[in-house]
Amino acid sequence: MAVASEQDGLYEEAATNYGAALERLARAYEADADLRRDLLQEIHVALWRSLDRFEGRCSLRTWVYRVAHNVAASHVLRQRRTRGQELLGLEELENLPDANAHDAGDRSHALDRLLRLIQTLKPLDRHVILSYLEGLDAAAIGEITGLSAGNVATKIHRIKNMLARQFQQGGSES
Amino acid sequence: MNVAENPVQKLWQDQPVEGIKMPVEELRRRAGKFERRIRGRNLREYVASLIAVGLFVYFLVSAHDWLSRTTYGLFIAAMLWIVVALHHKGSAKTMPEGVDTLTGLRFYRAELERQYRVVRDVWWWYLAPLVPGFVVYTIGHAIQSPRPAAWAGLAFMDVVVAGMFVWIWRMNQKAARCLERMIQELNGAE
Repeated sequence: MAVASEQDGLYEEAATNYGAALERLARAYEADADLRRDLLQEIHVALWRSLDRFEGRCSLRTWVYRVAHNVAASHVLRQRRTRGQELLGLEELENLPDANAHDAGDRSHALDRLLRLIQTLKPLDRHVILSYLEGLDAAAIGEITGLSAGNVATKIHRIKNMLARQFQQGGSES
Repeated sequence: MNVAENPVQKLWQDQPVEGIKMPVEELRRRAGKFERRIRGRNLREYVASLIAVGLFVYFLVSAHDWLSRTTYGLFIAAMLWIVVALHHKGSAKTMPEGVDTLTGLRFYRAELERQYRVVRDVWWWYLAPLVPGFVVYTIGHAIQSPRPAAWAGLAFMDVVVAGMFVWIWRMNQKAARCLERMIQELNGAE
């Protein structure tokens, strides 16, 4: 078990290296600005608390993403109870109509559209797409999510196709 | 570390962030508050149960007839049964730290299933144990006071109690249906 100073040091390292990714993650889980700020603070508190038990069996990056995704997923499922929003799987998102060129061309509009797409996804698929967007490779995504390599590959293939169609990148990149 | 291999990844990674970082003192304060809240919640459950049991023990020792003693004895046994059942079925668990997403979702689903069983079976572990106390109380007082006015009073009390039982049961069944829907949705999330 880490002593207090180690815990604080690990948190400093995690917040410095992954703080921006955590902010983006919170944005993908909560559209409301006030609730998003609360969620981000909840993630930071959970991360700091968890680092007391960090034993280095996985990388700090994997640990940070695991803790953050679990806190965010609990948040989504709690909100789901009160808001009654229906969540979709990647396979259902593949059936969405394609975006038009104007939608895809505007950068800020494209980011809003991407956020809305992510916010409709079920927790596990949301974890995969966010990890992919953060540039993590399939092995790292598998380690964070607990999915098999084959499952991660299938989901990434679907994500690439869906993003290509929605953001007019000229087709599949698999 | 993070490689943007396509424009959407770049769009995602380049979005402006505020650079929020929390001071360690603030994290400590909030973590302490969280732990105190959990301890407080558990303590409240036990204190409330102990007060109820204590109250019935007081009634039991101060009662002068066998009927009242039997009634209060049955209520005490029911309360103890409820406390033990609540401890076994109802204690919320905390998710282990740093587990992967699938394990986290399975833990969350197991917690929902536990909550589902608690509310679905509310009749058996919460309401039914209280019935013998009310039955003995009603029959005993009806025998002790064989007057229409006393019987009418007992009948009114039983109707009120039965109505409360039905209301508690229906609210719990409603909660069970909501939890069941959430569990089904989680099943599709993997």
